Amino acid sequence: MEPIVIAKNLTKSYTKGLRALDNVSLTVDQGKVLVVMGPSGSGKSTLIRTFNGLETFDKGELDILGIKVDSSHDERKIQKIRRRVGMVFQQFNLFPHLSILENITLAPVHVQKRRQIEAEEYGMYLLSQMGIDSHAKKYPSQLSGGEQQRVAIARALALKPELLLFDEPTSALDPERINEVLDEMRRLAEQGMTMVVVTHEIGFAKDVSDQVLFMDSGKVIETSPPNIFFSNARHERSRKFLNQLDKHK
Amino acid sequence: MFNININSIIICFKHLRKTLFSNLFNTVITFLIILFIGVACFYTFEWLIFKANWKAVISNLPLYAFGSFPPKEQWRPAIWIISLLLLSIFTLCGPDWKWLRKNLPIAWVGSIPLGLYLLYGGLGLSPIMSRHWGGLTLTILLTVCSSLLSLPLGIVLALCRQSSLPLIKKLSSIYIDVMRAIPLIAVLFFGQLLIPLFLPVGIEIDRVWRAIFAFTLFVSAYIAEDIRGGLQSIPYTQTEAANSLGLNQYQIIQLILIPQALRIALPALTNQFIGLFQNTSLMAILGLVELLGVGRSILANPEFIGQYIEVYVWLASVYWMVCTIMAVLARHLEQRMTINQANF
Repeated sequence: MEPIVIAKNLTKSYTKGLRALDNVSLTVDQGKVLVVMGPSGSGKSTLIRTFNGLETFDKGELDILGIKVDSSHDERKIQKIRRRVGMVFQQFNLFPHLSILENITLAPVHVQKRRQIEAEEYGMYLLSQMGIDSHAKKYPSQLSGGEQQRVAIARALALKPELLLFDEPTSALDPERINEVLDEMRRLAEQGMTMVVVTHEIGFAKDVSDQVLFMDSGKVIETSPPNIFFSNARHERSRKFLNQLDKHK
Repeated sequence: MFNININSIIICFKHLRKTLFSNLFNTVITFLIILFIGVACFYTFEWLIFKANWKAVISNLPLYAFGSFPPKEQWRPAIWIISLLLLSIFTLCGPDWKWLRKNLPIAWVGSIPLGLYLLYGGLGLSPIMSRHWGGLTLTILLTVCSSLLSLPLGIVLALCRQSSLPLIKKLSSIYIDVMRAIPLIAVLFFGQLLIPLFLPVGIEIDRVWRAIFAFTLFVSAYIAEDIRGGLQSIPYTQTEAANSLGLNQYQIIQLILIPQALRIALPALTNQFIGLFQNTSLMAILGLVELLGVGRSILANPEFIGQYIEVYVWLASVYWMVCTIMAVLARHLEQRMTINQANF
């Protein structure tokens, strides 16, 4: 099993000694799904944003798809990583001035220099897989949140990534729209996509993930398989967090 | 059909009664205002139709349009102005064919070299010096050339002002601040009187081009600030999303930031361009015979002495017409862009 993500002792501190990341180490193997959980401000978003260079870090090493990055944040290497890693954001972040299909073909055409027709064909294929190919000519503001998030997934998939990062992909959605996005993510996991997902969706974590990583104030508290984490978490802090989540359900 | 009309008239009357004649005081005020408007209209029309002497306007129409362009060659600027007019009509009311809509911006940009070729001559047309250009033709030429040059310069200035390199950032903000601190007329004087002194002997820039460059330098500072406003209102998450897709800095600016910033800044940019069009009349003081300059030279002719009001009313209406066309075109462009991105 080939590791796709290896993080060693990642540390990032803001001024005044506040640590967003505190000695975080983890490994994600090919085809595996890692779910990252934790209270807000625990550094889980910061963590996955270091994987494609949206955040820098002060100490430690990162190895993404065999490309090694350290705190010097080499722009060329990061660019190489970004071409092979897709990311889906909480607020979708689609480009409002481009149509759905243009959103999806932008990177293949301008980054991978693929032909427009070829990129459009593959974009339409991705949209039809998600059942939203009828929206191809529309603009992001004309779509519902769930549809926009699925377009964002298609946009990330258009570069044929080897690793997908999800930063709270369902937190900005209507409760009724959450499942259409989660189903899409389940389908990708079944197809063997390597994914790192920051989420509060316990059902998704239970069914789909191979590992659950729990963070608090920048530290990794525990990493366990989901059946153990949700039934019999090793740490008091994790149990407290899960109790809180249960109360809100 | 007839019924609907009667109904709508009744509704209209009821509405009027409720709003304008609801009590005695309102009724008196309504009648006073109607009386005032009526008297004003009466005297205006009386003057326009019976009292005014339109000879200074009617007998000089070609002069207003083309200045002292040789009469035999006046079909050239005429073709240019008509083609601009047709292009406006096509843009506003033309069919919604995709290839047409795609090529319209190219046609608009292409209209400028066409205009310059028709005015300058050469390549089969007899050459005509720029000192013979004038009238509405020159006004429009000054406006479109300065607009087209100042837009890219403004974009570059706005980007420089956002730059992370301190020197570039400082230089562009100094430029913008200085340009905004100088009155336009001073910049135009500088262009007309001082630039020739600085240039080495033998090198001469056309007066028209000196004016265009002066306008461009001035307006681009204002445009830069409008576009900077647009750039700043784009959320940073757009850049992050583009980064995560592997687009480089240059591509992000070109494909993501500039198109959105232009859309946001469009109403402000329209303002700048309409202002620029009106400010070209300052060149009349500096010796270019554009639309206002033609009016002044006609009034200096003993034959038309004293007909100020007629000439200025006429000039005002021409300026008003062109400004209206510009405003309608801008609104049309805005609507086309808004349909796609109602809220973001």
